[in-house]
Amino acid sequence: MTHRILVVDDDDALREMVGLVLSASGYSPVFASDGLSAVEVFRDQNPDLVLLDIMLPGQSGIEVCKSIRAFSGVPIVMLTAKGDTDDVVAGLEAGADDYVVKPHNGAELVARIRARLRPISDEAITVQIGSLSLDPKTFEVRRGQQHLSLTPLEFKLLHTLAAKPQQVFSREMLLEQVWGYQYKADTRLVNVHVQRLRSKIEEDPENPKIVMTVRGHGYRAGSETQ
Amino acid sequence: MISLFRRSLTARAVLTTVFLGGLSVAIIGSFLSYSLANSFYQNRLSQVLTETERAVDSVQTTIAASSLTDETALQTLLNSVVPSLEIAGGSAPRQVALLRSPGQGQLQLFQSPISQNLDLRSIPDQLRQEVRQSPGRLTYTPVSLAEGQADVPGITVGTPIAIPIAGDFELYLVYSLSAEQRALELVQNALAIGGFFLLALIAAASFFVTRRVVAPVEEAAEAAREISEGKLDKRLPEAGQDIIATLASSFNKMATSLQTQIERLDALSRMQRRFVSDVSHELRTPMTTIKLAGEVLFSNRSKLEPALSRSAELLQDQIERFDRLLSDLLEISRYDAGAIVPEFEVHDVKAVASAAIKSIEPLAKDRNTSLHLLAPEESIRAEIDARRIERLLRNLLSNAIEHGGGKDVTVEVGENLQAVAICVTDRGVGMSRNELERVFDRFWRADPARQRSVGGTGLGLAISKEDSALHRGWLQVWSKPKVGTSFRLTLPKTKDAVIANSPLPLPPRGLEA
Repeated sequence: MTHRILVVDDDDALREMVGLVLSASGYSPVFASDGLSAVEVFRDQNPDLVLLDIMLPGQSGIEVCKSIRAFSGVPIVMLTAKGDTDDVVAGLEAGADDYVVKPHNGAELVARIRARLRPISDEAITVQIGSLSLDPKTFEVRRGQQHLSLTPLEFKLLHTLAAKPQQVFSREMLLEQVWGYQYKADTRLVNVHVQRLRSKIEEDPENPKIVMTVRGHGYRAGSETQ
Repeated sequence: MISLFRRSLTARAVLTTVFLGGLSVAIIGSFLSYSLANSFYQNRLSQVLTETERAVDSVQTTIAASSLTDETALQTLLNSVVPSLEIAGGSAPRQVALLRSPGQGQLQLFQSPISQNLDLRSIPDQLRQEVRQSPGRLTYTPVSLAEGQADVPGITVGTPIAIPIAGDFELYLVYSLSAEQRALELVQNALAIGGFFLLALIAAASFFVTRRVVAPVEEAAEAAREISEGKLDKRLPEAGQDIIATLASSFNKMATSLQTQIERLDALSRMQRRFVSDVSHELRTPMTTIKLAGEVLFSNRSKLEPALSRSAELLQDQIERFDRLLSDLLEISRYDAGAIVPEFEVHDVKAVASAAIKSIEPLAKDRNTSLHLLAPEESIRAEIDARRIERLLRNLLSNAIEHGGGKDVTVEVGENLQAVAICVTDRGVGMSRNELERVFDRFWRADPARQRSVGGTGLGLAISKEDSALHRGWLQVWSKPKVGTSFRLTLPKTKDAVIANSPLPLPPRGLEA
């Protein structure tokens, strides 16, 4: 099955070129050239992943990201012309899973997409963490009867931590295991997504009981009973 | 106190004025006091001499008028003389002594009549000798009299008197100068109090005058300091038409012209930096397309005929070079715009150095250069932005490999209490003094004629310098033609610390020789 990828960029040449690269790598691209049509195309085409330029006419990429996140957990990779902190953090906080800084090369782009579309490995088993249970087959997270909705990335992050409770994961380890980075990347990815995850699963995100911070080292899964 | 004296112009002026004023007051006061005392004494002396003359006359008259027959009558007469002289003194009480000159035959019953509370010490022997040698004249000397607890000055006047039957006598009159002494003390006190108030007045006057002059100067100095610290809109108040006002207005004119110049230059350079930044940003989107397209062509070049295939290769190389240049331009324009947000974390500097070495290894192998890491066993921890420091080291290493002529390149890591240092040294062509001065300049290349092979952008060291400044560190270079070049990076262990000295020497050990 070929994955369908929505490419949102206002630059015609770049949009077409990215499309060519994606087609060559076996994906099927669909396009939108501005923020407003992006959400429509998304509903229409139901893509498996969104490549989203931050600088868009009309509605900015950040806004588009928020609109999509309101109803879908589909992976979103931002394309940013600035490696600048503010833009990147704003995008991640709006729900983007990862980002690629322009000018990027094809291999880099495809690697990011592939990492985001890779399913959780087949051996993954259902795990319990505190009062939560995680089922990797259905991406379902339950607290008793309550159903919590996580994006695939958030699910993978939580599952990675919960599969080895009490092990401390450094940010670099999480970047490698959850995001698929082979080399050092931006640790803000981890920080921002841990915050988003906590806001969904913790009863008091200010005082986390499930995803614990280990100062100076990283994170670990704790049980709520501790 | 001494430091206040050095620091404050006002304190110096006031103290100097008070010192000089005090000196003058003391001199004038002493002179006044001396001449007053002298004139008091002279007045009293002439008065005393007149009174004594009168007294001697009266005694001589009394003696001549009486007909003395025996010692008893003489004694009675003389005894009556003394009290009469005591009262007839006029201005102030005096004491009287009628002493018989020594060296004459004893009188059986005679006693020298003297005033009741006269202390014979106030008639010194020397005076008595002088009196005996000057008959018919008055002889006097200043003496000190005990009066109550204190001593007061006095004058003793004496003259010889011949008395029939009894022989040679000396008449002494002792006058106290206590009234004059009191008057003099009064005047001296008045002088002292007046002098003190005069000094206080001088101090106050000099303080106000000096403040009046110094305050505007101090204000100008303060304003100049503020301007030099960057508060370009600081001005002095202009009031009046004196020299101070002229100073203020000239100062303000200078400040205004400086401000205009600086703002103009600032705006110009901001515009330029803005331009570089905008251009770089605008280039990114087309650059992405070009890069992707180039890659597609390059990866499919086997399907192209030879000339087209070679073109695709050249295109790919130059796109990569363009890409590096663009990203360096963007980085330096971010520094220029002050838009860099470093991410400080505690890292092992040795590990960062190893990572940089590992990433440059392919280039080193290409150039037959071997890289050596000299570092202590234990880890060396410092709070740094590891991504930037690794980039910096990679850049130093790539320069060392490019200019090292295939000889070994060493990376030495060291630490002291507050700093870590990394020294990258090659043993290649080295640089002249002139070249060294420009080594951190943008787009400057050591030797324009030399082939550009590694493909640096010319911005590498400029960015490295900024990276090190971001850490409040030092990036220093040592080089000698035909010996080699050494770059030493020194960073504080905690991000806000200030470094005093580097743990590693520059030039490195063994290279200077």
